[in-house]
Amino acid sequence: MNRALKRISLACLAMFGLLLLNINYVQAFQSTKLAGEPGNIRVFNQQFQYQRGSIMAAGDGTAHAVIIAQSKPAKGSPGTFRRSYPAGPEYAQITGYDSIYGATALEQTENSELAGTDPRLAVHNLVGLFSGRPKQGATVFTTISAKAQNAAYQALQAQAQSDGGKPAAVVAINPSTGAILAMASYPTYNPNVYTTFNGPQLNRTDKRLRDDTTQPLLNRAITPNYPPGSSFKVVTSSTWLSGGAARSPASTVQAPTVLTLPNGNPLHNDGDETCGNGHPQLIFAFYVSCNTAFGQLGINVGAQALHKQAELFGFNQTLSIPFAVPASEYPLVPDDSLRALSAIGQYNDEVSPFQEAMFAAAIANHGSLETPYLVQSVQAPDLSTIQTTTPKLLHQTVSSQVASEVGSMMLQVTQNPGGTAFQTAGPPAVGSLNIAGKTGTAENGVNNAGLNDAVFTSFAPYSDPKIAVGVIVQGGGFGADAAAPIAVKVIKAYLGQG
Amino acid sequence: MTGYPAVLPAHASQAGRAPMPRGRRSTELLMLGFAVAVVLFAYASVGLGLNGRVPTGMLTYGLTFAVIVLAAHLAVRRLAPWADPLMLPLAALLNGLGVVMIYRLQQSGRGGNPGNVITTMSSSSTAQQILYSAVGVAAFVGVLLVVREPRTLQRYTYTLGTLGLVLLAIPALLPASLSSIQGAKVWIIIGRFSIQPGEFAKLALAVFFAGYLVNKRDALALAGRRVAGIDLPRARDLGPVLAVWAASLLILIFETDIGTSALFFGMFVAMIYIATQRTSWLLIGLSLFLAGTLLTSKLFGHVGERFTIWLHPFQGNNPTHDAFQLVQGLEGMGFGGILGTGLGHGQPFWTPLVQSDFIVTAFGEELGLTGLMALLLIFGLIVQRGLRAAVAVRDPFSKLLAGGLSFMLALQVFVIVGGVSGLIPLTGITTPFLSQGGSSLIASWALIGLLMRISDTARRPAPQSIQDEGMTQVVRAG
Repeated sequence: MNRALKRISLACLAMFGLLLLNINYVQAFQSTKLAGEPGNIRVFNQQFQYQRGSIMAAGDGTAHAVIIAQSKPAKGSPGTFRRSYPAGPEYAQITGYDSIYGATALEQTENSELAGTDPRLAVHNLVGLFSGRPKQGATVFTTISAKAQNAAYQALQAQAQSDGGKPAAVVAINPSTGAILAMASYPTYNPNVYTTFNGPQLNRTDKRLRDDTTQPLLNRAITPNYPPGSSFKVVTSSTWLSGGAARSPASTVQAPTVLTLPNGNPLHNDGDETCGNGHPQLIFAFYVSCNTAFGQLGINVGAQALHKQAELFGFNQTLSIPFAVPASEYPLVPDDSLRALSAIGQYNDEVSPFQEAMFAAAIANHGSLETPYLVQSVQAPDLSTIQTTTPKLLHQTVSSQVASEVGSMMLQVTQNPGGTAFQTAGPPAVGSLNIAGKTGTAENGVNNAGLNDAVFTSFAPYSDPKIAVGVIVQGGGFGADAAAPIAVKVIKAYLGQG
Repeated sequence: MTGYPAVLPAHASQAGRAPMPRGRRSTELLMLGFAVAVVLFAYASVGLGLNGRVPTGMLTYGLTFAVIVLAAHLAVRRLAPWADPLMLPLAALLNGLGVVMIYRLQQSGRGGNPGNVITTMSSSSTAQQILYSAVGVAAFVGVLLVVREPRTLQRYTYTLGTLGLVLLAIPALLPASLSSIQGAKVWIIIGRFSIQPGEFAKLALAVFFAGYLVNKRDALALAGRRVAGIDLPRARDLGPVLAVWAASLLILIFETDIGTSALFFGMFVAMIYIATQRTSWLLIGLSLFLAGTLLTSKLFGHVGERFTIWLHPFQGNNPTHDAFQLVQGLEGMGFGGILGTGLGHGQPFWTPLVQSDFIVTAFGEELGLTGLMALLLIFGLIVQRGLRAAVAVRDPFSKLLAGGLSFMLALQVFVIVGGVSGLIPLTGITTPFLSQGGSSLIASWALIGLLMRISDTARRPAPQSIQDEGMTQVVRAG
């Protein structure tokens, strides 16, 4: 029987061999793939056993940095850390949330740094392992200015209370660096509701917010969902002014009361008004915002030039700040009649408040559009900086000559008593603070039956631009009335004049 | 020469014969000490991992465990002094690590991570498991005490066979309220107590198979025709094989317990092969097994479902999906990686029933690939020592019994570890020595008792025929 016993021994050896091979396969070779399986509870949950790094609003200088997300020991469960967002909904669109099921916005894109799993933190973690110091995540310093963000959030709240809660959003950018100073969206949500460890409760909360018809989870500030309206005239002017050295804001342009488009349709000015004498200077057409003048310019400059100029302002390009900012859209419009509409922001162009801020930022920074970014630096737990963002040119949008010309026209929008934003962003509202801007009142909906979206793009101070702000109030009506006051509040707060 | 000398001259006992085999009981004691040390270290490690301090009950726990294994050792010294010195330390180490893991899993349910309470465990799980360990060791000693000579078991071939079948059949016959826990109808529930009779039936049936096959092996091995190079048995000799096959199929159908039925059948086929040395029996057994599996997977939804889960575990990965448990186990093992998270640092509590069928994945998660390989090697060593005893022992019944028991242990580890790690379709059976629960642990200790008794018999030096001592002359050639 011993021969058979030896064979049975070999069979046992084979069984154990197979088991050993298989667990090697699972634990050594499949480990990474298993960790990446959707819904791997352990990987999601692991982060709550370490202190996740904080997110700071450091746009007003590191000394004035404000904590906007932090992890603290969870009450009643030792060894566990719970995320909290001290300012509640104010920074929701920037930080996003970090829940047991997943994360959004910066919490998602900066996860490896915040969670301490980034390879650049490996040495630090190793030292910690031997010295018995618990693993800790890195701190993310954002470019957000607490002053500007606070003003933006308050302004949206106030707008909502006085104006029936219209969806709205603001983005502010430092034009000389591309640093994002503020980003707010209304309606919004409180990210603290996502930090519970109670799975079923989290599911209920999440479902409620997702099913909410007011879409509180939507970051309108980066969602290209709105026609730019007259604010697109910044692009059209830039294209035309770049087209010849002799052209200037003082050049006269054709501006009939009604422009008959090549396809026979009439193009009216707002309220069917005339535009000066019908041959005004460009600057006049700009600050009173004549549609016919810019419709004609749109036809004249040609499809390619207008499309190219729009792209230099940032259209048709997805940005990563580091979470994705979807591309605002300006397609190539070969048809003259349709291009005339697109040149006044009324065809199928779609912008986000983010794009509106980029209009002003490019003009304010002598035509150089800096790449927008949200993360200034990342600091390891030992306070060494492991990552710093340096400004990077995105596009040379226009020449500095054209930029100063368009800028001077934008200044007249607020400074000239006939300018569309004179009352709301000019001397009556802000005194000697020179804000340059462009209003937009975008017709919306099927056959333009919806409420007009109020749009405003602006920068200030005019002589030394420090902040560029884009605002859209959905269904807000006149851009000057609904959107400009919000931008003004953000500008004043950031410049310390609130 | 009459009478015998009080003291044999040194040259008389040593010269010209192989050195006396040694019991190596001191080696066993040393290794037991090592096993206790490893277990205590693991226990402290759990406390440090979970709460940052050594568990308060460590001294009582350590003492209890040390006393239990020391009792086993003393019993071996007295009852089976020639037994293999490695088996007891290995079994004790597995038992101890199992208790530590149960302690760790019970802790996680209480405060380690909120919302993840292992509802199927209670605060007394560890204490219970220690109690079961004591009962297990008592059973081990009991086997050594009652079975002084393994051959004597052969007398009870049919008694034990009947007992085994009855034990197996009871849960199938009892109403679900008295026999079903979490869908597995393999229990006898009496008030607060529940036992899994199948665990003990395994041992009884192993004895039955060994006794039956020793009697019939000539007929099974020699009679029959040779067809295409394979010796086919006679049709009438196929009867008992078919009967066992049918019985295991019945277990499968009525107790929804694929694992146990595969275990019985596998053990039987291995033993019939050892008894007859004829490959044809292996082929017949394997084809019967495959046919049975195919048939039942077509007829019964839950069997076919196991195959689907095995092949596509990650399709429909959500808490209500049937593959959830397997997926959690695999993700846990992957989470542990090569070195593991460390005891108390992992999250094994996500895996449903991690303390019983899936306890191996908890080891894989917290001790890593390294620790799990070590555990498998310990199982492998026990099997190897058992098979070694089978080869060494002279009496065919003991040989067959030791071979069958060792193979069954290997097969059980293969089926459960292979199942939870995705190598083969998952079938819910216990992991010997590690899983929470008394029946499996006690039966495992009894199995070790049988193997050690057989190895004691095998290694015991033949009684010296004293009268011949002086008469026999050693004739040296050359």
